Amino acid sequence: MRQIRFLTEIAYNVKNVMEAKESFEQLNPDVQVVVEQAEDSFELFQAYKSEEAPDLIEMGGYPVGNRSGTFIDLNPYVAEIEGLEEDLFPGLLRVARHDGTLPGLPVEISPPLIMYNKEMFDQEGLMYPADDWFWDDMIGLAKRLTLRDESGLAKQFGFGIGIDIEWFEPFVMRNGGRYISPDGTTSRGYVDSPATIQAFRKIVEAFRLHRIIRLPDEPAETAKWPDEAAMNFAFAWDARHYRLKSGRYGVVGLPNMPGGEAANMIYMGGAGVTKKSANPRLAWEFLRHYLLERDSWMPPISKSQAEKRGLTAHPIWSRYLKELDHIQISGFFQNRKWNASRQLINEDIHR
Amino acid sequence: MKAKKTQEDGMGLVANKAAVWMEQGGSAQAESDQALVERAQQGDIEAFGELIGQHRNKARNWAERMTGDPYLADDVVQDALIRAFLHLGSLADTSRFLPWLHRIVQNQANMRLRRGGPFKREQPFTSWQGDASLNRVEWDNLDSILDHLTCMASKEAVKQNDPAERLLRKELYETIRALLHCLNRKERGIFEAYFFQQLSPDEIATMYHTTTGTVYTYLHRSRQKLRQTHLRATLGLHESKGGGCMSKQKVIQLPEWQRHYSAKMSFVDRIGHMLATLGDIRPTSELMGISGFAFRMKISNRTTFSDGIYVFDWRKVFRGLMDKLGYDASVVCGQLSNGPVPLLSAAERFPVVLPIEEAVLPFIRKYIDMGKPLLYFDTLADRPYVHEWALIYGYDDERRIAYVTDAMRENGKTVSYKEIAENPLRFLAGINGRKEDLSDQSDKLTVMERNKQAIKFAVNYARNGCDYVPMTTYLNYTSGLATYDRWILYLHNPEVAPNRYGIGQLAAVYADAKHQAARYLRGVQLQGESMRLTLLAAEAYEQAAEALDNISGEVPFVRSSEPLVSETLHKCREQLEKAKEFETAAIGYLENAIKRWGGEE
Repeated sequence: MRQIRFLTEIAYNVKNVMEAKESFEQLNPDVQVVVEQAEDSFELFQAYKSEEAPDLIEMGGYPVGNRSGTFIDLNPYVAEIEGLEEDLFPGLLRVARHDGTLPGLPVEISPPLIMYNKEMFDQEGLMYPADDWFWDDMIGLAKRLTLRDESGLAKQFGFGIGIDIEWFEPFVMRNGGRYISPDGTTSRGYVDSPATIQAFRKIVEAFRLHRIIRLPDEPAETAKWPDEAAMNFAFAWDARHYRLKSGRYGVVGLPNMPGGEAANMIYMGGAGVTKKSANPRLAWEFLRHYLLERDSWMPPISKSQAEKRGLTAHPIWSRYLKELDHIQISGFFQNRKWNASRQLINEDIHR
Repeated sequence: MKAKKTQEDGMGLVANKAAVWMEQGGSAQAESDQALVERAQQGDIEAFGELIGQHRNKARNWAERMTGDPYLADDVVQDALIRAFLHLGSLADTSRFLPWLHRIVQNQANMRLRRGGPFKREQPFTSWQGDASLNRVEWDNLDSILDHLTCMASKEAVKQNDPAERLLRKELYETIRALLHCLNRKERGIFEAYFFQQLSPDEIATMYHTTTGTVYTYLHRSRQKLRQTHLRATLGLHESKGGGCMSKQKVIQLPEWQRHYSAKMSFVDRIGHMLATLGDIRPTSELMGISGFAFRMKISNRTTFSDGIYVFDWRKVFRGLMDKLGYDASVVCGQLSNGPVPLLSAAERFPVVLPIEEAVLPFIRKYIDMGKPLLYFDTLADRPYVHEWALIYGYDDERRIAYVTDAMRENGKTVSYKEIAENPLRFLAGINGRKEDLSDQSDKLTVMERNKQAIKFAVNYARNGCDYVPMTTYLNYTSGLATYDRWILYLHNPEVAPNRYGIGQLAAVYADAKHQAARYLRGVQLQGESMRLTLLAAEAYEQAAEALDNISGEVPFVRSSEPLVSETLHKCREQLEKAKEFETAAIGYLENAIKRWGGEE
């Protein structure tokens, strides 16, 4: 009996891993797949460093560039299967292949778009936004859609976005700015570039001047989240878990910024075969089964699976999948120091 | 040098921030230099950045006056700031930062002028050799020095005529010679053959009857050793003062820590042991009660992971507990950014620090030399733990190790200085001493108030949950009585696989906490009906603890990849329902006790 060990830190998808394990074991009666969980990526790497290193690791954050050297390059395995390279979304492969190698296959892919509440637009007699809209269009609509009583208490906000330096990054990118240099070594000349500063100013004005977004601890009498704002900065997971079922929401791309760049961030995890695996081919076979042969993740990473599951014709999902053409590696993945500083910066913004 | 680069990046960002702050009319002096120096000495780059933000212009003015050249002044300031950062640990009197910085700027200016003044960069080697890279030697960077040496050796004759260069090279060779002591005989031979005699790796391989690959391995290893030794020397650690003659070692004899003293919540357990070493022996139940850990319970919103045990505001809770006990204490904390950090939800707002030994070793030596162990968060804890609070109770400069307790090793263990510096989640705390002498009477009153505070905390925590909420959006927890519902949910939610060792640890730690709660409540000094209700609450806590003990019996805290069978999950659910019922009753009794003592008072 051959054994491969799969270690994951993503708890909510374990059911799909277990189902993939069962079907893989049925297809390969001489193989046992052991599924284990870790609390966080520290524990994942402790397990990797131990004498009982897993064959596969699934991480909540994609190991861009494989700087820890934990994973084998999957490029040769992808190349072996005719048509696979073409079947994977090219935008995803572009960011997953940072540094040339492919340390894992993306999972939990989640770019942000704007989900708008159609009922709130209808009530104000406003046209729904389209992909050719600009930041100032968004501000104009959001002002109309922010409803306050005589005392200034908000009944509805025009725009919804949390205060998180990471979530401001796509607007910075679209304005031609960046947080970090492409090689990830410095933020000098990037986070303080005119394009970045201009994007920051616009975001700050949206909060402070236009008052279209709820300020921290601002009292309000709006509906509860996720229905407190007419337009919402929404990652794919947000759309899937909180907005899709209601039928009230439409989707549109992020507004265009003066810089005119069609760019966006993405959150994604990754699953890869470890360098310590004694059975890398078998581990790859399971990975392929889990991610490409089975419908384990929403949205999927391949065009054929998206087609088969009806997502390419779906009004919301088709737009999220189209956005994959424009995704870029964000500061979150490029520089660990930036990532470690995230909440320190957010705390400063809150002050 | 990687550290230098990171530090420079941090300096730039923070200096900009400080400048903006000042422009906005805020009080940039609000945090005194001294406090910033103390934080920076502990590796807090942000604090150093703020210091620099405040004093860069002053340093530049000094440098310009000293050199008479505005461009050279910029270089001098840059060198001085790097040097200041690297040597900050050696500044004994933290209130004297500015005079100290002035001296460094003076030294750097003198050095620059001695090297040839403002035209040094344009003049020397390039005019002879046409090799621009030669005059970019970074004198704090060993790799740069070694590269420079390699080039220099073949051009020695030419440079003999330059007295300044001769002087510099003399200093350099002395440094290298001192550093070479860290290499063994063979490493040193190969290193010298390569760098000083300019032999090729092939020639050296022939000389040592080995392969070229082995020579490269030796050179690589030697460079690494030299780099570490050079860093220590630069930071003023003992080896730089000549062969380790100043090395020290000290190990504190910890008092015996018997099972009945111990708590499974290692944060409190280790504090108890730390206090006992200082002669302040307290029942663990008292520490668990007044710290609130007897009443805390928290679970991840992802599955039955046990990280909720560790998620609270470490600095605030530690300082709060020390305050209640009348101690003055210091904390060093931080997160490293060069790898994954455990417990991000607790560490997310810790300063980003560098993995340099100088940031932690003086702190450790200071307390150990006073005979006081330090609280330390150990990320190398033996299995089944991933990480745990421990005590550092000794150090040995010669062997470059610290002595650390470990829940799984009765006799403790040793951890290297490197491992401590590279601990991705840095948390060390030492007790400085008593804040004040409490008279018997005031102590008694304080104890009474403390007990009431603890009971109020228990009720508030159970009903409203923990007031510490991580900012990281995907890390959410459920706390207080609601913990039971979420825990039970995981045991029959087909979408989520319960984490086995997480259940084991949660049950073990929280069963123990509830036993401690019962013990603590039995010992509180209340009167009449309030005391009777509190005793009833103690009994209910005991029952809740027993139910959780039963879960521990079913799912012990061990590492195992065996999936949990449905029968076990069913038993666990039953026991959790029972524990919830008893604890809810306990909280009800305590709420009534609070109402009564309000009336009784």
